[in-house]
Amino acid sequence: MIHAYLILALLLFGIGIVGVISRRNIIIIYMSVELLLNGVNLALIAVSSHLQTGDGQIISMMVIAIAAAEAALFMALFVVLFRTRRSLDANLFNLLGERRD
Amino acid sequence: MPSEILFAILALMTVASAVTMITVHRPIDAALSFIVTLVSLSGLFALLGSSFLFAVQLIIYAGAILSLILFIIMFLNIKEENLPDEPNKLRWMAATSAVVAPFCFVLGKLVLATDFGEPAKAAEGFGSIRSIGLELYSQWVLPFELISVLLLVALVGAVTLASKKEEA
Repeated sequence: MIHAYLILALLLFGIGIVGVISRRNIIIIYMSVELLLNGVNLALIAVSSHLQTGDGQIISMMVIAIAAAEAALFMALFVVLFRTRRSLDANLFNLLGERRD
Repeated sequence: MPSEILFAILALMTVASAVTMITVHRPIDAALSFIVTLVSLSGLFALLGSSFLFAVQLIIYAGAILSLILFIIMFLNIKEENLPDEPNKLRWMAATSAVVAPFCFVLGKLVLATDFGEPAKAAEGFGSIRSIGLELYSQWVLPFELISVLLLVALVGAVTLASKKEEA
């Protein structure tokens, strides 16, 4: 049974990577990152349940706390970026990138 | 076996709503299908017997983080012209999937080839608040304190970032 859970976690991780790479809407990119974290959480809890120890669950609680901190920072970033560019297009946020003019 | 049927239903819901989430155009649709992903994932946690994580997933992810996302989407008042148009979205997604799929395939083969041994016999109080709390405050005290500092830093950072006045 643990194999099925790990395959599902892998699938979620793969879907998340596809979302992060191929989309240009920053809110959807952010939610794909959350999907990556959720896939890892599922794998941790599956292994923890297989071994009947508490470690995996505690690590996944830490992951959830980190995701909450990340959510707060991402939301502040969305507000700042939307204020300066009036758009959610990730291609427009190139201040740190190469100059194209 | 009812647990296998439940697993199949929840896994199907999780994957279907995750795929919907990364394909839809508007962020509000993505957020709503992400709720389905998170709730069915919490069902999987409950199926695995970790009842406390089930509650944490529902309260923190489906409750707090998702309502934050929905709040921001409404707060920004996003119009159609603010969204990237992404004309070749499906082509991009197909190309990325073609790159990612081999890695997932190899990892999946690796998982299936691994022998994890027999599942351990059920420990008493596995996944309950009591057992997790006892372990968290005895063996994991330092990471716990570091997480609290991290949350404080994120809080202060979010406030300073979002409240910055536009300089002329």
